[in-house]
Amino acid sequence: MSSVGSLHAAPVTEPALAQAAASSLPAPDAPADANLILPRLAQPIPARTDFVEMRGSALLKAPLRVSGEYRRPDAATLVREVRAPYAETTTIRSGAQPGQGEVSIARAGKPAKKFSLSRAPELVSLQASFGALLGGDRAALEQHYRLSAEGTRRQWTITMTPTDAKVAARVREIVLLGRDDELRCIETRPARGNEQQRTLLSSAARAAAGIDDASRLAALCRGHGAAR
Amino acid sequence: MTPARRIGFALLWLALLALAGWAIGSQLKLSGDLRRFMPSAQTPAQKLLIDELGEGPGSRLLLIALEGDDPAALAAQSTALRERLSAQPHFKLVANGAGFGLESVPERLRPYRYLLTPSFDDQPLDAAYLRDQLDTRVQDLGSPAGELIEPLLASDPTLEMLRLAEAWQPAQAPQTLDGVWFDRAGKQALLAVETRAAGFDPTGQQSAIDAIRGAFEQARGASASRITISGPGAFSVEIGGRTQREASLIGSIDSLVFIALLWLAYRSWKAPLIGGLPLATAGLAGLGAVAAIFDGVHGITVAFGFTLIGVVQDYPIHLFSHQRPGLSPWASARSLWPTLGTGVASTCIAYLTFFVSGVDGLQQLAVFTIVGLATAALATRFVLPALIDPAPRDVAASVRLARVWSALARWPRLGVTSVSLIAALALAVILFVPGAFWQNDLAKLTPVPDAALARDAQLRGELGAPDVRYIIAIEGRDAEAALQASEALLPELPLLRQRGAIAGYDLAARYLPSVKTQRERQRRLPDEATLRAALDSAVAATPFRSDAFADFLADVERARHAPPLTPRDLADTPLAVSVDGLLLQRGDHATALVSLSGLHDPAAVAEVVRKHGGQLLDLKQASESLVAEYRGRVLLALGLAGVLLAAAVWIALRSPRRVLRVLAPMALTTLLILAVLRGLGVELNLFHLVSLILAAGLGLDYALFFDHAGDDRAEQLRTLHAVIVCSLTTLLVFALLGLSSIPVLRAIGATVALGVAFNFVLALLIVREPTAMSDADAVDAEAGDAHA
Repeated sequence: MSSVGSLHAAPVTEPALAQAAASSLPAPDAPADANLILPRLAQPIPARTDFVEMRGSALLKAPLRVSGEYRRPDAATLVREVRAPYAETTTIRSGAQPGQGEVSIARAGKPAKKFSLSRAPELVSLQASFGALLGGDRAALEQHYRLSAEGTRRQWTITMTPTDAKVAARVREIVLLGRDDELRCIETRPARGNEQQRTLLSSAARAAAGIDDASRLAALCRGHGAAR
Repeated sequence: MTPARRIGFALLWLALLALAGWAIGSQLKLSGDLRRFMPSAQTPAQKLLIDELGEGPGSRLLLIALEGDDPAALAAQSTALRERLSAQPHFKLVANGAGFGLESVPERLRPYRYLLTPSFDDQPLDAAYLRDQLDTRVQDLGSPAGELIEPLLASDPTLEMLRLAEAWQPAQAPQTLDGVWFDRAGKQALLAVETRAAGFDPTGQQSAIDAIRGAFEQARGASASRITISGPGAFSVEIGGRTQREASLIGSIDSLVFIALLWLAYRSWKAPLIGGLPLATAGLAGLGAVAAIFDGVHGITVAFGFTLIGVVQDYPIHLFSHQRPGLSPWASARSLWPTLGTGVASTCIAYLTFFVSGVDGLQQLAVFTIVGLATAALATRFVLPALIDPAPRDVAASVRLARVWSALARWPRLGVTSVSLIAALALAVILFVPGAFWQNDLAKLTPVPDAALARDAQLRGELGAPDVRYIIAIEGRDAEAALQASEALLPELPLLRQRGAIAGYDLAARYLPSVKTQRERQRRLPDEATLRAALDSAVAATPFRSDAFADFLADVERARHAPPLTPRDLADTPLAVSVDGLLLQRGDHATALVSLSGLHDPAAVAEVVRKHGGQLLDLKQASESLVAEYRGRVLLALGLAGVLLAAAVWIALRSPRRVLRVLAPMALTTLLILAVLRGLGVELNLFHLVSLILAAGLGLDYALFFDHAGDDRAEQLRTLHAVIVCSLTTLLVFALLGLSSIPVLRAIGATVALGVAFNFVLALLIVREPTAMSDADAVDAEAGDAHA
């Protein structure tokens, strides 16, 4: 992807970088602290980022590699556009009132499916947590997850453990991996089995272009790629 | 016996009554089932209403709304409420939108999805279809919902189970927030609860509603949320409670009035105590007799029964008023007995006609009143005299009473001509006043406040709850036949919905196809080798492993050979609730029901349904026709009772002139009451009819006692005193009822109060013999007699 494919939207890159630089602490090796890291992940709207997602399954010959783009055209909308290996655009729009949200899934060659967000609880949690993440809204995240940080400010890991029993029955933990103020990877570990789902974002997603091998992608995710 | 002994005896009697009351009360099974009070059903709609829908789904549905807190808190309360209520025996089904998905079908029934789904009726399960499905599944796996779908795929690559669960969702399900149903505005959490008790079983509904409120209190905790419960059961409880509160308030006022009046009339505090004993005894004896003979006592029997035996309050009053110094209470009772006995015996004989009505409830009522009246009369004759102190004075000596008597004696006496004229006038009013004569709509007897009705309509709309008035019924000789017949409607109902004739529907065949349909689907499923070949070729072109779907092959093979599902196989699954409520099986036949919501065009629906051998039943019309038929039987019984009563009085009095004079006031009173009610635009219902019987009974007694007094002035004075006390107590009791806000109480009160007033006046004007004591009176009397 192009150079604008970072988590920072192109038009606002300059001020955002300036802000990030200004708020950067002088000690990059200081221990990671979720309270300090999360607000700095906040994305001005509109925002977009590339992603590469790996989903493993015992049913598949090899983990499924899906790539495309996440977009936040406005605060209430999250778009997940898959470009390869198939084309699919999922638009999640949260309504003014709870339950008024709408989801539309458009797949190549088929009419778009539209349904109420209230019928798709898994998308509600995606919208809530991913939205909060992109918005740097720590308080919103802490409504659903316990947060703990490891590593250093330069290279950090934040582990989110679901507090809601129903979510915990499906997801053991969600691990965020990042460098400085860039979120590079999200690993979702299911409550049962070892098939984890991995989403690479921003520079990690760009670096993953053309890589199919699951272990190399995992390494990219873990941060053994080139530093920015 | 000394006065102390006498009062001791009275208290002992009271204590025995309390004991008997406790014993009967602990044994008594009060039933609120209206069906016992209905004649047997004739038309299919009546049969459905009486035999089946009495416990049918619509009438047992309670709609619940929680509001007043934020959605998350309300959702948590809704979930807690559902958990608590599901564990209770009062409820067949508690639904709040959660858990109506895959969990509906237990593991053992999962392979049956290929027999339950219509997916492969037109589309064969072949390689091309599988390929398309698998491609879609790859995308599903890569979607945010992937982790939810992944565990299902190995055995169900076409996601048939999900499709079924989606199809089973109520057609008009409300939106789901935080996993539970909410209204469109997202402010009220909604639940639908089906009770085990029938909608018109007030006791069962009461305990169900108490359970809901109790569970809500616990689920609510410190939250400020409120609960609304609506539906037929909630209304019947609400009306029942209001009726009970008003009746008991009026009852308490009446007791005070009775005590005060008797105390005033007889200047003795013992009079009210002793005067109340026959009524209490009569009530308990009647209740005991009904409980002993019948299986359960109907609530209406008790209410009507106590109304009808209210006349026995008069018996001790006659005894009191005829007391005088020098006459022992025993002698007094003996001399009154022929009159009292005639009244009681003829009334009891009249009530015998209820036995031929063929209605369980009316037969109970007959037993109750006959036993009650007889007991009270015998108690007044053979026990009460033992309790009465010898009278210190004679009411006939009262100056004030004498003055009243002289005034009354100047009233004109009515002869045959005037009575006939009044009767003709009354008849003309009854027949020619415009407006409906009868009130057939049971709902008007128990009016639901407009606000509650509006709330019910709102909840019903939000929840897509079925219409309580219309339902489609399709009969068959067994469940399979009924299911097959109702399947013919499956393609028609969506069309009706598109046309806007209905907003939604539900039927058992939506969940459980007939055995015939299941067998056809079994035949259409590919055999194992064919399916394996199709699957292999489809999988080869996808990222799926070649052996990923072994479970799928096994499930289809199992579905091909499994014995088709029948309603019995669904026991203990959530599906059973839906199927049992909509597929009624009764011995030698079965009825498949289609519940409808948002019915806008009954005629269009009826036409479509008729084409397929079913009918659209109008339950309101059915209940009205039943009421009309019931009333027919009551009227027949009343006509017969009138004849028997006249015969009994004839035998007792043996003089045509006396018989006519005794019967004329009550007959004329009946006409006058009807004329007044009709003139005021009142539509008559069963409660008016029953009250007319009471009024007639009172009138008969007044007339008999005036007749008994003959031309003896002192006796006439005593009788006048007794009848004044009797009619005053009765008038006050029923006039208060007549002011009630409850139509049932108002009907009874107005009718009887009018009856007392007319009977009192007419007894004086028609029955009273002129006395030979005063010249003026004598002249009047002669003039009157000339007419008579």
